[in-house]
Amino acid sequence: MLVLEQLKFFAKTDRIALVNREETLSYRELDARSNAFAAWLLNTFGADRSPVVICGDKETDLLCCLFGALKSGRAYVPIDSVVPEGRAGQIIGDVKPRVVVDFTGRVPDCGAVVLSPADLAPLLGGSAAPISRQYWVGDAGPAYILFTSGSTGRPKGVPITAGNLDAFCRGLLPYYPADGGVVLHQVSYSFDVSGCAVYAGISRGMTLFTVDHAMTGNLQELFAALGESGLTLWVSTPSFGELCAQSRGFSQELLPRLRQFLFCGEVLPHTLCDTLAERFPAARILNTYGPTEATVLVTADEITEEMRRDSRTIPIGRAIDGVTLQLERDGAEVTGEEQPGELLILGPTVGPGYFGRPDLTEKAFFTDPTTGLRGYRTGDLCYQRNGLYYYCGRADNQLKLNGYRIELEDVEENLQKLPNIRRAAVVPVRDGDGKVQYLAAFLLLREEDGLTPLKRAIALKKQAAAYLPAYMIPRKMTAVESFPLNVNGKIDRKALAASLEGTP
Amino acid sequence: MEQKIAEILAAICGAGPEEIEPELALFEEGLLDSFAAIQLVMELEDAFGVSLDMASLPRESIATPAAIARLIREKLG
Repeated sequence: MLVLEQLKFFAKTDRIALVNREETLSYRELDARSNAFAAWLLNTFGADRSPVVICGDKETDLLCCLFGALKSGRAYVPIDSVVPEGRAGQIIGDVKPRVVVDFTGRVPDCGAVVLSPADLAPLLGGSAAPISRQYWVGDAGPAYILFTSGSTGRPKGVPITAGNLDAFCRGLLPYYPADGGVVLHQVSYSFDVSGCAVYAGISRGMTLFTVDHAMTGNLQELFAALGESGLTLWVSTPSFGELCAQSRGFSQELLPRLRQFLFCGEVLPHTLCDTLAERFPAARILNTYGPTEATVLVTADEITEEMRRDSRTIPIGRAIDGVTLQLERDGAEVTGEEQPGELLILGPTVGPGYFGRPDLTEKAFFTDPTTGLRGYRTGDLCYQRNGLYYYCGRADNQLKLNGYRIELEDVEENLQKLPNIRRAAVVPVRDGDGKVQYLAAFLLLREEDGLTPLKRAIALKKQAAAYLPAYMIPRKMTAVESFPLNVNGKIDRKALAASLEGTP
Repeated sequence: MEQKIAEILAAICGAGPEEIEPELALFEEGLLDSFAAIQLVMELEDAFGVSLDMASLPRESIATPAAIARLIREKLG
């Protein structure tokens, strides 16, 4: 696996792999501590290669455990600390791990060995010989399984192999600086865009500059830290970029060494590109796109001044090296310029399918009979022009909010678990670029609750936190007497969304 | 001013302005997160013609409607 080879290589230097607040972790330490964890896994569980579940935020040792799992031939399953216990429990129940590394202190008894930070310290600090390649995760073996929102209300697992990640690195690294630098490590481990730092960044010997949840929620603290970071490569969702750009202090003076922004995960608005181009004259802006199922990202391109001035949406880019893209409509390939169709991805970054769900895998994944390439139907509608791809919406109810991938049915199903909610309809409210601003829920109550709208919203949000992470809880919760219906007799989501247009 | 602030907050929370009490704890009650806070700040800038910078605003300065009113008064001089 490329990233493990590169880690071994940079461990012979004095480079720093990770900066996390006051802590630093050198490549040498990362290599040694991940060897120690791999050795413990191999000694304790032998040939049983069940995945390792890792629950946490951005703890320094989390990175050591992640690479340790890979060196021992095991996949890891990251669960972010913001995921409520019940939802984490569903994931652990599906994965059936032998060991759970728990930085959150709230993983319930699940039949697995649970390692707290205190258990880990002596274990990672022990000395271990380098782990021979024969134990590493092989090309076709899963390296991680990420759980994303599923339309049934249960998270759905997406395994990605070592071979997929190697292909991703080969496709993305040509866009990276030739050697070294400091890359932003803000994206959650449970969101694959973090791979731009963890896989591509480590493969280039970069230093990961950590921004955890607490820092993301406190811009004063964040800006103070960024000022000291020496950041050269910014990786985030456009939403996090917008959050920072709201402050005028977000400029080349704060980050004098920054040379590139890499955005992924949702629509990139024109306004953000314009602001950054003005405030960071020395940095270029790269827009990218890709679903978790095809490993982080499959398109990329630099956003030029011409693209910023164009009235079309900002393009998502061209296929990265190794990736083949096709557009399809009604079962036939669309080849004309500016003709929209569903985007199909073919090539070595396409994953094996959904974890334990052959039915869902069958529907979305395929193997092309003529080329033998693995393919994935994204459900994203795109068109192409001069080799550049433009995103124009979804064929279903999946959406991206602040970079998080959310199925509206997942939110609805979980809201319907609350005691007084009979039926929930959730809609996205969008801005002029088509980027989702927030979610709003319309609710049929079981019985009159006697609460004012604000008190009801506060109460329902608190109840919902038992089932959904905060980013999936709608900003607005409105009780209604009935839902508007469309001609097919289904809930008219467009009418519901229209009722909120123009409100913040 | 308090009325205008209540109207802005009511629009963000999907409630009526009369429900927005001065000491309502906006973050603790789950009514504001980082992204809604940005929206709030932009609406306040538009409504009062002031310039607010999230990176130099402590969270407490927008944690309740009363705190927001103090902040705006201070910015207006």
